[in-house]
Amino acid sequence: MEKLDDLDVNGFISNTLIDVFDTMVSMEVAPAKMDPKKFAGHKLIIGSVGFAGKVLGNINLLLTYDFARIITAEILGMEEDEIEGDEEVNDVLGELSNMIGGDMKSRLCDAGFPCELTIPSITSGKNFKVESKGWARHESLAFKQENYMMLVEVYIKNGNN
Amino acid sequence: MALRVLTVDDSKTIRMIVKKAFKPYDCELMEAENGVEGLSTATKEKPDLIILDITMPVMNGIEMLDKLKAESALKNIPVIMLTAESGKDNVMKIVKMGVKDYMVKPFKGEQLIDRVKSFLTLEEKKEGESDVNKIKKYFPADEDVQFLSIPAKLTRSVIVDIEGLVNPKLKEISKAGIKKFIINLIQVEQVNVSLIKLLILAAKVCKSLNIAYRIVCTDVLQNELKGFQETSAFPTHTSIEDAKANF
Repeated sequence: MEKLDDLDVNGFISNTLIDVFDTMVSMEVAPAKMDPKKFAGHKLIIGSVGFAGKVLGNINLLLTYDFARIITAEILGMEEDEIEGDEEVNDVLGELSNMIGGDMKSRLCDAGFPCELTIPSITSGKNFKVESKGWARHESLAFKQENYMMLVEVYIKNGNN
Repeated sequence: MALRVLTVDDSKTIRMIVKKAFKPYDCELMEAENGVEGLSTATKEKPDLIILDITMPVMNGIEMLDKLKAESALKNIPVIMLTAESGKDNVMKIVKMGVKDYMVKPFKGEQLIDRVKSFLTLEEKKEGESDVNKIKKYFPADEDVQFLSIPAKLTRSVIVDIEGLVNPKLKEISKAGIKKFIINLIQVEQVNVSLIKLLILAAKVCKSLNIAYRIVCTDVLQNELKGFQETSAFPTHTSIEDAKANF
């Protein structure tokens, strides 16, 4: 079993996110430096999944609602104005979070940290901040797709099992 | 004969990707949102193939597969498992459960079709089964009123077909200036969850496009619809003439 500190979390997340966006959305995304201005004043949406077992953790995928709508239209093969409402956007974000979380979970299990994945949850709104305390590791990775940014935050610590 | 495919996934996104992947082929698609619904549909419809997600609320895919394998009438239905987890323990667990194949998400629709073709024959759709014919069948028009005619036998595949056509059809009539829509349920004897969902969808699309809608149904159905919170306020009438006169 590897040590939690030795896990290449950033590498796992980068490879997974690039693969998920390429396969499901046909979009090229690349690691980037986060520009906080990109989120200022925008409606934001977060897809979250947690895992619990020998390791406890949470993965948040944060992006603007506008970008989430573009992704939704692309995945569902429709025009943006054909999106009926939040339900479709939330479902797409939930599924993308599930794929990213599922891959992370698999890598944790293979590294000797068996754990279970939670069902994704969605939060959206304006002017909010995500703060999470008490984790052994917190990684924050930004990605760019043309004019849009997204942020993946990973929180992990040893579990009790 | 059309291949009957049941997709069991709580994500509408995945169900749509699967539906799109099978669209060019002669297939009858059915959908369920969790293991309980999936098991009930599998028992009733006996599909030729089940595409089954693992992580779902109410009953997950592993539990559903267990129950499927315990039923002599269902245990031979081939199952392709969908999983977001590629870890070796997870993959071994799935393989041991007797699934025909598994796919790790993310996946493309074409990859799923390739897997299906490795053990089942998929025939390309003939012209007669196109959406144009389905639109003619379900959406008859009468001057300034568009109808949606729901058949007496309300199978899941019929609902899935209509669900896929409602939005584009209503957009089309809205652009053409038709603002009256009648959902004709007169042949339907019983309300079920799929029908409720379809009515809610149609009402939502009508509202967004400023199309006035009326529902025509029997007295019995009218009372049943009044009994559900979601449909209690829907405008119902017992004849088409009555509905037309009340726009």
